[in-house]
Amino acid sequence: MPDKVLLEMKEIEIQFPGVKALDKVDFNLRAGEIHSLLGENGAGKSTLIKCLTGVNHMDAGVILLDGKEIRPQSPQHAIELGISTVYQEVNLCPNLTVAENIFVGRQPMRRGQIDWKTINSRARELMARFHQDIDVTRPLSYYSTAVQQMVAIARAVDVQAKILILDEPTSSLDDNEVSLLFNVMNELKAEGLGIIFITHFLDQVYAVSDRMTILRNGHLVGTYGVEELSRVELVTLMVGKDIDTIFNLKRAEVPGDAPYMLKATHIGAPGQVDDITVTLKKGELIGFAGLLGSGRTETAELLFGAKRLASGELEVDGQKADIRSPYDALMRGMAFCPEDRKRDGIIGDLSIRENIALAVQARRGFLRPLSRAEQNELADKYIKALGIATPDAEKKIGELSGGNQQKVILARWMATQPKVLILDEPTRGIDIGAKAEIQRLMLEMCGDGVSVVFISSELDEIIRCSNRVIVMRDREKVAELDGETCTQPQILRIIAEGAAAAGGEAE
Amino acid sequence: MTKRNGASGRSLIARLTNPKYIMVYATIGIFLIIYIFGAVAYGDKGFTTLRTFMNMFIDNAYYGISAVGMTMVLITGGIDLSVGAVASLTGMFIAYGTAVLGLHPLVCIAFSLVVGVGLGLLMGWVIHYLNVPPFITTLTGMFLARGVCSLISRESIEIKHPMMDALAGWKIYFMKLQDGEWVRIRPSAFVNFNVILFVVMIIVGTVILQKTRFGRNIYAIGGNEQSAKLMGLPVGRTKVLVYGFNGLCSVLAGVTYALYVKSGWNLSLQGAELDVITCAVIGGTLLTGGVGYMIGTLFGVLLKSIIPALITFNGNLLSWWGKIATGLLLLLFICIQKIVVNATGGRKEKKPQRAK
Repeated sequence: MPDKVLLEMKEIEIQFPGVKALDKVDFNLRAGEIHSLLGENGAGKSTLIKCLTGVNHMDAGVILLDGKEIRPQSPQHAIELGISTVYQEVNLCPNLTVAENIFVGRQPMRRGQIDWKTINSRARELMARFHQDIDVTRPLSYYSTAVQQMVAIARAVDVQAKILILDEPTSSLDDNEVSLLFNVMNELKAEGLGIIFITHFLDQVYAVSDRMTILRNGHLVGTYGVEELSRVELVTLMVGKDIDTIFNLKRAEVPGDAPYMLKATHIGAPGQVDDITVTLKKGELIGFAGLLGSGRTETAELLFGAKRLASGELEVDGQKADIRSPYDALMRGMAFCPEDRKRDGIIGDLSIRENIALAVQARRGFLRPLSRAEQNELADKYIKALGIATPDAEKKIGELSGGNQQKVILARWMATQPKVLILDEPTRGIDIGAKAEIQRLMLEMCGDGVSVVFISSELDEIIRCSNRVIVMRDREKVAELDGETCTQPQILRIIAEGAAAAGGEAE
Repeated sequence: MTKRNGASGRSLIARLTNPKYIMVYATIGIFLIIYIFGAVAYGDKGFTTLRTFMNMFIDNAYYGISAVGMTMVLITGGIDLSVGAVASLTGMFIAYGTAVLGLHPLVCIAFSLVVGVGLGLLMGWVIHYLNVPPFITTLTGMFLARGVCSLISRESIEIKHPMMDALAGWKIYFMKLQDGEWVRIRPSAFVNFNVILFVVMIIVGTVILQKTRFGRNIYAIGGNEQSAKLMGLPVGRTKVLVYGFNGLCSVLAGVTYALYVKSGWNLSLQGAELDVITCAVIGGTLLTGGVGYMIGTLFGVLLKSIIPALITFNGNLLSWWGKIATGLLLLLFICIQKIVVNATGGRKEKKPQRAK
């Protein structure tokens, strides 16, 4: 590995109102290396990156690029300096063509006019380099997120970048797409680019990076080669607590005679799922495992009335329930926390208080508004109970970190005091500490007699929390396993091979 | 070389079937359907003559010119409600300036340009840098311009000036060769200054949108303003200039309208901004921004003007049916847009697939 230091950040300090976001943080990046930047939400990763990209301005410290001091003033300026960034949400224009997304703002001109021919042919060459044989004259929105991500990288690299920052580029890619991205990253690295890689997935850190720098609460914890640290050590450094204490969670205990809170018999709807039978006892937590598109979310939506049942019956709290809309479900004491919190969950411009009060208000009906005092009481109670990190309840939810946003959403539904709570991927995209806390909260609720349906792509958390695990595959329920005894390989085999593998193992 | 050949061979079909053109095809297709319907129903009454066709241009040139600027504003994701009032104000400046103050019309037009473009730039600045919604900002601009109109005069003022008369009366007739002599075709058809200006503005608009970085930045902003910023595009400057350019178009539309009606009146062109927006939208411009073509807008203007033409040819229908038909057309296009957007833009794949 070449040892030439490409970028050096020394004693960077950034002060935000009320907090020191970065306190004397050092960071360096060599040419031809992939350097992971790790830390919990709020550790200061984004702040550090934003220093480099000219979004935030540092209060103290120096940045040296190729030995020369630089002070990026704006994203544009940073790009000119050779620092390109690809963000988690693809920051391109969906309405422009692939080719144009790569070249907009710096189009080659010919006789005072944009030279479309050159744009398209050069874009085609670039995309071919990233193993994408696509029609670059189609609008970007025509292609999958993975391709869009590649386009973003193509744009970032083509501006003569020395440093490429990848800010959670993998969070919306599937495994094949991730490995394709890693190939591209390795090729770029071989060309001498310095790559800063930010991700929540520890496996990916180990798969692709050379070194890693860990931040915690705005402080530098250290920089290590990947071979120097085991995963457990890494996580311990990131969260500053011992990993076992984090995950020392106890499964809910359900007495044998606990009443059934939810019984779904042979429910299904065309194009959604077929013939699902699920029961849920008071205080029980069932996990739904399976790949995306296996019917997990669809089942939840059927249970909650977000999609209409075509067949089968639902029973809630011992009574036959004809649930035709989410409102019906809400009135029967159900709550549903959907998968995409940015799109379906939070209302970014409203305060934490308003976001929490929302579902309670909906349940009460709009003719009986919650008084401000009641709202305050509600908000304060849950901010305290869930440990939501915020100065006060009036902060806009959009300004919170992902984990804290998720807690607010959880608070919203907890406040309705549901009997059945359905959580679809509540821990997606949040860091380990916050994940553990969300899981602890779920289990506490079970202890209080709430029944929880927990959907997650991450098998370890499903196994850790669930009393029973339901495995979905191709829109069908293929197995129901005991949460105490089931194992990851077992579930993976069922997901991969279907009911045959489940054969003797299902209860 | 072979690669290039292959690429261009692929691109001809790919280019034509590119989903980004669907809306333009829809506009042109519906125009052709209506035109053919008119030709079948009223062909004997002269619906298919060149004169009828040219009249659609002549009677709507001022809408068309304004729609050029409006299309750009809509592509950025904005809206401009001031265009009718600014055009009307231009008419007032010309009428009052020539009739009362005795100024040369060119002086009045120059003054209108300063005011119109200045107001546009100012509104653009307020919209971008003070982050005031375009709807409110330009509504204010509309009241402002309309108020100044009434301040100047509350009566219609006739425009009488040799230059304006000459310009309004200037026509190029379509000719044909008959027995070795050039004669006007029958029924006579012509283009006037307004039509030429309209066509020129459509061409100018096309070049700006398709051939300049400024034009492409307009699309990028409409696609995703935040992304455009992060891609390092000059978002603020582009937006301000777009509203400035729209001010220019409004003034030119006002000049055209003044030539068309030969008077200035403080209440003229009320509600014209909505007609202009309608032209752009039925021409395939997305109200949410990011999509639109000048050629679409041209056909949008034609589509909007073919309906009154049909009603005139029918002779029995009340002219209000025109409004109803336009409304239905607009509804149809908004629905088509929604469907197209859902089919392409909204087609983004859902979330990842991962079991760890």
